[in-house]
Amino acid sequence: MIQLLLLPAALLIALIFGIPLLRYLWLSFHADSVITSLVAIPNNGANWFRLFNDQRFWQDTYQTARFAFVSVSLEIFLALGIALLLDQRWRGRGVVRAITLLPWALPTTVMALGWRWIFNTPNGPIEQFAKLIGLQHLYGLQDLNILANPSLTWLATVVGDVWKTTPFVALILLAGLQTIPNDLYEAFDLEGGKPCAGLFKITLPLLQPYLLLGLLFRLAQAFGVFDLIQVMTGGGPASSTESLALYAYLNAMRFLDFGYSATVMIASFLLLVFICLFGWLVIHQTKHFREVVK
Amino acid sequence: MIRTRNLWITVLLLWSLAPLLWQLYTSFCSNESLIHTFATHQHRWTLENYRQVLTANPPFWRYLLNSAFVGISSTGLTLLLAIPAAYSLVKVPQNFARGARLFLLGAALFPYVLLFLALLEIARSLNLGNNLLALSFPYAALSMPLAVLLLSSAFRDLPSEIEEAARLEGLGLWQRLRWVLIPLIGPATASTAILVFLFSWNEYPIALTWISTTDLLTLPVAIARIAGSSVYSIPYGAYAAATVLGSLPLLLLVIIFQRQIVSGLTQGAIKG
Repeated sequence: MIQLLLLPAALLIALIFGIPLLRYLWLSFHADSVITSLVAIPNNGANWFRLFNDQRFWQDTYQTARFAFVSVSLEIFLALGIALLLDQRWRGRGVVRAITLLPWALPTTVMALGWRWIFNTPNGPIEQFAKLIGLQHLYGLQDLNILANPSLTWLATVVGDVWKTTPFVALILLAGLQTIPNDLYEAFDLEGGKPCAGLFKITLPLLQPYLLLGLLFRLAQAFGVFDLIQVMTGGGPASSTESLALYAYLNAMRFLDFGYSATVMIASFLLLVFICLFGWLVIHQTKHFREVVK
Repeated sequence: MIRTRNLWITVLLLWSLAPLLWQLYTSFCSNESLIHTFATHQHRWTLENYRQVLTANPPFWRYLLNSAFVGISSTGLTLLLAIPAAYSLVKVPQNFARGARLFLLGAALFPYVLLFLALLEIARSLNLGNNLLALSFPYAALSMPLAVLLLSSAFRDLPSEIEEAARLEGLGLWQRLRWVLIPLIGPATASTAILVFLFSWNEYPIALTWISTTDLLTLPVAIARIAGSSVYSIPYGAYAAATVLGSLPLLLLVIIFQRQIVSGLTQGAIKG
């Protein structure tokens, strides 16, 4: 009887998560595009052979991984600083916490549009400032052209992502900090430990499960990055910021090749599962984490 | 010590607010003055950008209404299904519940953007495209893992004596839930509701593919459409006005529900 209460929620989850995955698996072994008049025809794994020889897919895999690892590491590092700051007692802390949270709460597309203007060439503030200090001479350029220069554009998307999601990580770490009893630090001080050493000897070891949890959550999200890239750069210039999710989207909505789009999605999903399983194994090595998750 | 702390607080505030303040500033600038950012202009300040955004067809507040509608219906549907599920998750055998929680954690981690194509096919075959109410089904499903985890940890924290006493008073299952247990998990429900609302308000890829009628666009899609409208001459003043108007409701939400958002996020992280 009680188990029946689980049913509606479980059914909805199965419908929205399960059916698409099965459908993709099926579609990935079929040709389904404009050429086949959008009728699915079995093609003996041709999609998968195409995937393995698809330069653009592997390029996007590399770009997505690069984006995910760089932005997530930056986020963890910055979030740790923010969490340590917010963990102390000072007046106005609540207000500052609310303001810190704001970037996370805004729709990604809203600020993706904002970043486009901030990184605009030649009128955006970053470009103007770079000109003021002569940064473009470093590269021997007229303008930095941030959103049209493949070696810089992806960094701009990292900035956008770090700005938006650092608050989320900071809150997880803050929750972790608040579980550490103050007595530990007092005892440490009495023993004559230096304040900075406390960070490495007490805080970081006890914070480890939260760091790993934030890392796992953010890696999964960053690996599926779509909104930010689609609105901010559209994947450009020259596909240099294109992510796997955006490539799958373009295959379906622009090239109308649903079979191949499904293949790209299954492949991205498998790559992500691989990364997460690896992360999960690392997490399970830490005893403390099991106590927290129970 | 305190001085360096104040310095870091200032840096933090600048980092969080500067991009937003820049949008605010831009939204009041005339387009001519934007082309020469640091030059002085006679006709620098203007409300023209706001006029343009608010008198467009459809006016901008229409998108805000659409998003609010989707947000409220998704939140309602999520809570309706998640509360019973969360309650039963506490009552079922421990091993099963642990497995279910791990599964939910995995689903919460899933990058849902990968689902859009199949969801679009479902929407087409069931004729659910361009229907704001229909959007709440995928939204509720996508928020369900986090909602169930949060609510079931709240149910778990209630002392079992309370329910036992209610049972001895002769209250049936529905009465116990309705009059005793649900009121007691009010704070967790509020946290869950605000997180689900934020998710639905901000969701982009599914809304992008399900909705094509201009009148029905949700805010994130409407904003992204402005971005795609003209690649060569982009009306940044109007952009900025749109982003400011689009941010205001969320600014209010974050200020009012700060406590609930923080506890929802942290509880979700810790007890998940």
